[in-house]
Amino acid sequence: MNGSLTTRSKLHEWVDKRFLVSPLITKAQRTINFALPSTLTRQNRSRILWFTYPYYYAGAVTAFLAILQGITGLLLAFNYIPSAVGDPGAATPAYLSVQVIMKGVPLGALIRGIHQWGANLLVAALVIHAFWAFFRNPYRIGRELTWFLGVASLGLALAYSFTGYLLPWDQLGYWAATISIQIMRAIPLLGDFLAQILLGGTGLTTNTLSRIYFYHVSLLPVVALAIVGAHMLLVIIQGVSEPEEAWKTKTEKQVAPLFGQFFPQQIAPVMIIALVTLGMVILLGTFAAQVPGDPANKFLTPQFIVPEWYFLWAYGLLKWVGWLYDLAHFVPPASVYGVDLLSAKVVGILMAALMFLAVLLLPLIDRGKEVRALRRPLKTAIGVWAIGFLATLTLYALNEIVSADLSIKIDMVNSILGSIVIVLPVVAAAPFYFMLRRRLTKGVP
Amino acid sequence: MTEKPATRSRTKSLRSISRRQLVKLLVSIGLMGTVGSFLSLLTSLLPGSSASLGPTDNILRYGPEKGTWYSPKAGSEVKLEDFDQVGKGAGVLWGGSIPAIIFRVDEGKLQGATANNGLIAFASACTHLCCIATWHLDRPNENVLFCRCHDGIFDPYVIVKDVMPNGAEYQGAKVIGGPPPRAAPLIPLEIKDGKVTVAPSSLDIFSYCE
Repeated sequence: MNGSLTTRSKLHEWVDKRFLVSPLITKAQRTINFALPSTLTRQNRSRILWFTYPYYYAGAVTAFLAILQGITGLLLAFNYIPSAVGDPGAATPAYLSVQVIMKGVPLGALIRGIHQWGANLLVAALVIHAFWAFFRNPYRIGRELTWFLGVASLGLALAYSFTGYLLPWDQLGYWAATISIQIMRAIPLLGDFLAQILLGGTGLTTNTLSRIYFYHVSLLPVVALAIVGAHMLLVIIQGVSEPEEAWKTKTEKQVAPLFGQFFPQQIAPVMIIALVTLGMVILLGTFAAQVPGDPANKFLTPQFIVPEWYFLWAYGLLKWVGWLYDLAHFVPPASVYGVDLLSAKVVGILMAALMFLAVLLLPLIDRGKEVRALRRPLKTAIGVWAIGFLATLTLYALNEIVSADLSIKIDMVNSILGSIVIVLPVVAAAPFYFMLRRRLTKGVP
Repeated sequence: MTEKPATRSRTKSLRSISRRQLVKLLVSIGLMGTVGSFLSLLTSLLPGSSASLGPTDNILRYGPEKGTWYSPKAGSEVKLEDFDQVGKGAGVLWGGSIPAIIFRVDEGKLQGATANNGLIAFASACTHLCCIATWHLDRPNENVLFCRCHDGIFDPYVIVKDVMPNGAEYQGAKVIGGPPPRAAPLIPLEIKDGKVTVAPSSLDIFSYCE
């Protein structure tokens, strides 16, 4: 014991002499210990923070999963071959190498399963984290940058999963990517140029796989490290945004956390949640890993083609706008000032882009000082509407499957689901708006 | 002590620029040149001119869809005799690169064009986002070209005039549902000795997905 301590202090001294870290560590410790919502801990008199405030840990779970993705991805990269050379419908080296990972490499299937499920759970955690932030309003003045970087990381996560989805070069990945490329091409004025720069062509070729692979394993990690690093640095410097309940007892003076320091006391629940997440990912990866489908064939679109669940809303949006146009018997002009601007395709894409832009610029749009969700009838109602809209669009994306499974005529299914997309979000949001407004005018504290 | 040179340079600058300004100017030009020359390297991101796009010949071959009447014939040349009844159709490949749908029409109902020996063919890459449309596979009871991706529907019995984004005018199956922005291009056919091929036609129209 004594010996190891001496070794440790010797090591510390050695490092400190060369890198002058002692003052930095002391400073970081002080910062980090005030970074977590200490008043919250004190007020609830509970060690189990995550039990009462589970969404505070969505960000930590995301970070943990990102590290896990890095490790498993690194292992997969040892065996994957990014080559799509071969006839359409034939197994390409990329496709075969994924087969080898699944069947030949020791524990390969498990690693791939973890990587796959890790990606799914990461997006899920990120979405929860984002909606939490929307309602809890931590992006108030002084913290806008954290929000911008957070939305950028959401975009990065989607870019990661999009590029990762194509790598096995199977039918689903291939067609998901084809659709995405054509969507990119439909961006007014810039589309073709962007597609050529980013993907090496206006169609999906062997060049595209090289670029996509480079983005997935090389470019995105660097960008992600910078953006997510800055996001987390801001959280550490500014502290976790405390929920409204904590304010009631907030004093002017900063008080040391009741349950001790960030490390190890406060990090403990994070560790517990991380372990539970790890267990879940391993279980899912072991028992529910997806095997790639048929090799990609550019002459054959598979039936019931669907993207990953978190892209379903966008996929549904494209279908839904087409349905709306049919419903209104609206035939858009072929071009507006020489640009294809009003076709269902472009309108769908522009709508999705606008939604993303609105989310990104939220701190600039919403400058209200009131942060409590229950005192913001309009904002809360818009949030509920957005959740409803995304959920119903996701449902609409599955119209063909619903029609086939329930053997209802597709036009019928479209009418029902299409109307739900219009009606349900509004019906869900309206009560929130009116109840909260009544609450506000009545002056409930 | 500092005033004197300053006054001097101010009076001088009426006619000429100071040494500081000159250095700033030169450094700025140098920086811009450096950045510009690095940016020019980005043009390497554009794809090089790839080998021949589009079909290499005018031959139609049966496509690879599994579980269809033509799947045993996949890769073999399309014959007139295979289409023995109205509505019978197949997914085919033109010149190994352009997917198409060919089927026998009820010639009395066809509007806007004439069939060749009762056969008609369309490029099957959807004009929406380039998924491959099908005939009688997803919608067996409807005479439509149907796209599996976003439910685009074309009526092959109504041939209309349309314009491609590159300005090429063409004839094609009318859009009757879903998001496709323009008609599915009609492929002119040539039939000799029972062998179905593509008549010489402008490739501009059919390469919209490349």
